[in-house]
Amino acid sequence: MNRVKSSIDKKQVVAATGLFLILFVVAHLAGNLFIYGGPEAFNGYARKLAGLRPGLYFVEAALLAVFLVHLDATARLVLENLRARPVGYRQGHSAAGGSFASRLMPWTGAAIVAFVIWHLRDLTFVDRAGPAGILPDGRGYGLFGVVYNSLGNPVHGVLYIAAMLAVGTHLSHGIQSFIQTFGLVGEHRLPAVRRVSNGLGILIALAYSSIPVYVQLSFGAFK
Amino acid sequence: MAKTINLTLHVWRQKGTQDKGRFEVYKAEGIDTDMSFLEMLDVVNERLIKEGKEPVAFDHDCREGICGACGAVVNGRPHGPMDKTTLCQLHMRRFKDNDTITIEPWRARGFPVVKDLVVDRSAFDQIMAAGGFISVKTGSAPEANTVPVRRQDAETAMDAAACIGCGACVAACPNASAMLFVGAKVSHFGLLPQGRVEAKERVRGMVARMDAEGFGNCSNHYECEAACPKGISVSTIARMNREYLSSELAE
Amino acid sequence: MLDAKIPAGPLKDKWTSHKNKIRLVNPANKRKYRVIVVGTGLAGASAAASLAERGYNVDAFCFQDSPRRAHSIAAQGGINAAKNYPNDGDSVYRLFYDTIKGGDFRSREANVYRLAEVSNGIIDQCVAQGVPFAREYSGYLDNRSFGGAQVSRTFYARGQTGQQLLLGAYSALMKDAGKGTVTMHPRAEMLDHVVVDGKAKGIITRCLLTGKISAHAADAVVLATGGYANVFYLSTNAKASNVTAVWRAHKKGAFFANPCYTQIHPTCIPVHGDYQSKLTLMSESLRNDGRVWVPKNKGDSRRPSAIPENERDYFLERKYPAFGNLVPRDLASRNAKEQCDQGKGVGPTGHAVYLDLGESLGRLGRDVIRERYDNLFEMYERITGMDAYKEPMMIYPAPHYTMGGLWVDYNLMSNLPGLFVLGEANFSDHGANRLGASALLQGLADGYFILPYTIGDYLAVQPPGKADTGHPAFGEAREAAVRRTGDLLKINGKKTPDEFHRELGRLLWEKCGMSRREDGLKEALKKIPAIREEFWRNLLVPGSGEEFNQTLERAGRVADFLEFAGLMVRDALERKESCGGHFREESRTPEGEALRDDANFAYVAAWEFKGAGREPVLHKEPLAFEEVHLATRNYK
Repeated sequence: MNRVKSSIDKKQVVAATGLFLILFVVAHLAGNLFIYGGPEAFNGYARKLAGLRPGLYFVEAALLAVFLVHLDATARLVLENLRARPVGYRQGHSAAGGSFASRLMPWTGAAIVAFVIWHLRDLTFVDRAGPAGILPDGRGYGLFGVVYNSLGNPVHGVLYIAAMLAVGTHLSHGIQSFIQTFGLVGEHRLPAVRRVSNGLGILIALAYSSIPVYVQLSFGAFK
Repeated sequence: MAKTINLTLHVWRQKGTQDKGRFEVYKAEGIDTDMSFLEMLDVVNERLIKEGKEPVAFDHDCREGICGACGAVVNGRPHGPMDKTTLCQLHMRRFKDNDTITIEPWRARGFPVVKDLVVDRSAFDQIMAAGGFISVKTGSAPEANTVPVRRQDAETAMDAAACIGCGACVAACPNASAMLFVGAKVSHFGLLPQGRVEAKERVRGMVARMDAEGFGNCSNHYECEAACPKGISVSTIARMNREYLSSELAE
Repeated sequence: MLDAKIPAGPLKDKWTSHKNKIRLVNPANKRKYRVIVVGTGLAGASAAASLAERGYNVDAFCFQDSPRRAHSIAAQGGINAAKNYPNDGDSVYRLFYDTIKGGDFRSREANVYRLAEVSNGIIDQCVAQGVPFAREYSGYLDNRSFGGAQVSRTFYARGQTGQQLLLGAYSALMKDAGKGTVTMHPRAEMLDHVVVDGKAKGIITRCLLTGKISAHAADAVVLATGGYANVFYLSTNAKASNVTAVWRAHKKGAFFANPCYTQIHPTCIPVHGDYQSKLTLMSESLRNDGRVWVPKNKGDSRRPSAIPENERDYFLERKYPAFGNLVPRDLASRNAKEQCDQGKGVGPTGHAVYLDLGESLGRLGRDVIRERYDNLFEMYERITGMDAYKEPMMIYPAPHYTMGGLWVDYNLMSNLPGLFVLGEANFSDHGANRLGASALLQGLADGYFILPYTIGDYLAVQPPGKADTGHPAFGEAREAAVRRTGDLLKINGKKTPDEFHRELGRLLWEKCGMSRREDGLKEALKKIPAIREEFWRNLLVPGSGEEFNQTLERAGRVADFLEFAGLMVRDALERKESCGGHFREESRTPEGEALRDDANFAYVAAWEFKGAGREPVLHKEPLAFEEVHLATRNYK
């Protein structure tokens, strides 16, 4: 990290790790969508993924490292940014359209961290073969059952959707920020980049959010 | 044609850099709507002087929107409510009778307040000294038409070179970042063939100096672009980011 | 008595042979010399950077918060050079001839020729610095035509040429500041000169942030402090532009040349109220595509679009068919004022004429006009609230540039040894009227290509490092500046500096503006001391001298304007001829045009200060014309 000295270095670290995390979010979503295929499809996908171990441990460790680097660099930037304006304005005013998502970045980011911890406790570090995987019909559904039990709870479902809105908002700014921070496009393409970024953010949030909704709607089938 | 309005001003008064500062309220009555914002302040100041009070200090010089000396945050917006307009070119016809106007200085660690609305922007000069130039000695230049420059490049360079160094970008940025100022200069020189020779040293030197001056980081809010009186695009920041990365990779 | 030190030999060889003959300072010795440069506009910044590059130690001063704010930045139109890229017959000689003719044969041949000669090098230098001049699709530099010329020789960067050239010089200056070869002193106002044994050896400055008054010593002092058009209060100059630096030099012995030579720019936005703080110029490049007119009938208050073609008087085209709307500035200005004085003026005050781009909009289309002038149209709309794409603009002349300034010889040194004066602050190249796009040229010529050579000729015979602020002269000058600042603060009267300034400005505009008359000038000469007397009795400056105090700054500048104004009017009274921008009503042809008097007035009027309250002494430097024939300017 010694080479990361300037503000642009740090931004580019955030952007590069951010891209990695975006790719993870997309891959994770693709996996999650197996839920629509029913228990066999979903658990089959989970098994296949588990079959990739021990290689998967390596990927998970990398993911964790990237996540922590993203957090660390961001935290430094945020602290520096706070120091850069010791006295604030009496009257704030935003003149740049769509800076809502950008201003919320630290907050949506913090919300995502909290969600990830909860999410891991709720769905990953549980005994899938145990009671968590048993649905009301009394049968064990493994990971599929764990997901249904969790997201079938309306409070969990709403929290999940809220978290996905945070993810979507974060990404809607994150994707265009990545492109801007590496200077990948010129002036004329910037508006298009912003549109695509916002669209992807919304799409990802909607796709993720569809899962608890679907779980709620189809929960009855397992009674 | 001439119309007059009455205004209530909340003006930031601060005796010096160390002073904490506070808002004072002044009435500005009978303001002709054909006046510029600074002429309105002139009128207020003349009255203050006559009352034996200290006038509001504010930087200004050319009063035609090109020197970059003037600037204050008016109702939360650097240079006031009109797009692509410096404070001196903002005219009072933009305001309504009985409006309340809040006037604050640029607020940033990199721009300490000197007095009232006057801030110290010498950090910009320091950034320029760290690479904002092409090192051609007087007399050593080749014939001007030796190297043709693509017209589009010259135009885009001119777009970036239009920066007046007023600091509104820093004032507007939620992080008080100076990236638009530096990006504009890096782009201006970087787009021209004669500026390519020192491009890597330039971007590294200017960015290092920018960081050392205490400005915040860019987090792509684009408030700078919206506040820039010369309409400088944030694509100049993108270009600087790219140049910076390539200079780092080439090291 | 006055030796301009013009080199012998044919005109076109003078500068080259002079450069070959003047003394040089050994490269190893240059670092032993310290040079003070006051002002960081085109002339000051380019000089400071060029001197530092050669190895001199440079201290550069400006009163703005950054050197980049100097008023050169506001020049819009362009810079002339004799490149002849358009292949339309231009040459160094033609640029020289146009400039000397434009100046109504009141400038020095040798200086003007040199100006034209170095013009091409300036373009080369600026392009290499990264000045983004306009280009053609081929990638080569574009040119446009400008008032007073029949060739296209003006290089431009949209409507911001001055800005771009200044930023070029500023970036060169900052490069040297970064290296430590230039020490920048921003927010430092020069209050006085220090003369030791008859030589300029330093300056006294006031730090505008803290009020600290300090002395600075050097082996030579360079003044590049711009012009004094703000003596009129309302001018196109920046608010803080002032005469103090040159006036103080004058009081310490430097001769002031042609102080009455002021240029009134024809295309400014008209005055609209008493509170007005300055006038805004729009580039006269607008005259390339715009037609100037007034209604034929007095008091015609119809909207301009409602006035049919045959009821419009395109008075410039009518009176000067060869040049039309592109006549030199003085003619354009005077004719506009004349029309208004006859009651044909337009707009709410009647002090305006139309500048109509309607026909060009039709011929070239909105896109072309937008590309050329959009920033001007925007500026016009911001200030007036009117859309120039729909209605013709209204314009009126305004004080803009001052050709007069400190007297300098061919080496740009004043009669006070060691004091060099560059750019608008000197008098040298524009005679009685400056050609458009030549101010930027002169500033950069002086700073980049003339002073760096000629200063060596002086320094080579000065033992370096002799100047020392410990010398009593520095202490005395510093004390005097402290006293004077204190005097301004303790009057505690009732009127603000601006009130006095406005009063002075109005008087000069009426009596010593574009057209003057003996009785008016004499009246002004009586009234100025009265204003000055009231100033020192009834001025009100709040606050103290030990802090940032803008009213105090203004008061000091107005005090000097009040002294200088007397000399300006005195000079105008002495010059009984009409020449260039100076129409002396007693001196006119039977058709009413300006009548120059070469037999009696082909000289530079250089005034010597003889003490407060004493008559200044006039020294005449005769102007010898070897190359050009003194023609009557004819733009018909």
